[in-house]
Amino acid sequence: MKHVLKLFSLLVVISALWIGLLQASIIPRTHTWLLPIYFIVSLGCYGLLMVGVGLMRFPTCPQEALLLQKDIAEAKDFLKKKGVDVGSD
Amino acid sequence: MELADRAVGFLLTFTSLSIFTYYTFWVIILPFVDSDNFIHNYFLPQEYAILIPVCAGVVLLSLLCIFIGLVLLKSKKKKA
Repeated sequence: MKHVLKLFSLLVVISALWIGLLQASIIPRTHTWLLPIYFIVSLGCYGLLMVGVGLMRFPTCPQEALLLQKDIAEAKDFLKKKGVDVGSD
Repeated sequence: MELADRAVGFLLTFTSLSIFTYYTFWVIILPFVDSDNFIHNYFLPQEYAILIPVCAGVVLLSLLCIFIGLVLLKSKKKKA
């Protein structure tokens, strides 16, 4: 519940800022109308960027992969000895 | 294997960064430039700056709803 409240308050602050900008007319009117769409597009872009960066930095841990294969072979052996059908081999 | 992952990640970052710079240019910088500058030839007219994101958002939302509907229908068929 608390995270939703935080997001909601952030949204309220941003809309208040936007309405304030509209009233004060420092920037030409057509610009202020475009601002929310710009923010939504940039938010989507930021999400995509984070996904791409995470993909690029994903670690593969080759030693862990080897240890895992050894564990799997050991477990298959053990189960076969006990008489359980392990399926694909 | 990880090379393919890294290539996809790089493609995603590149696409997102290029979309971001193009859109920033379009919406924020271009209106302040004189209307007979050469740079205007590289950017579509300003109405498209609103149309394209809105259309993309509508398409995305409808695809999402279709997907959710399909999943619900499939689960109902399996139960019955």
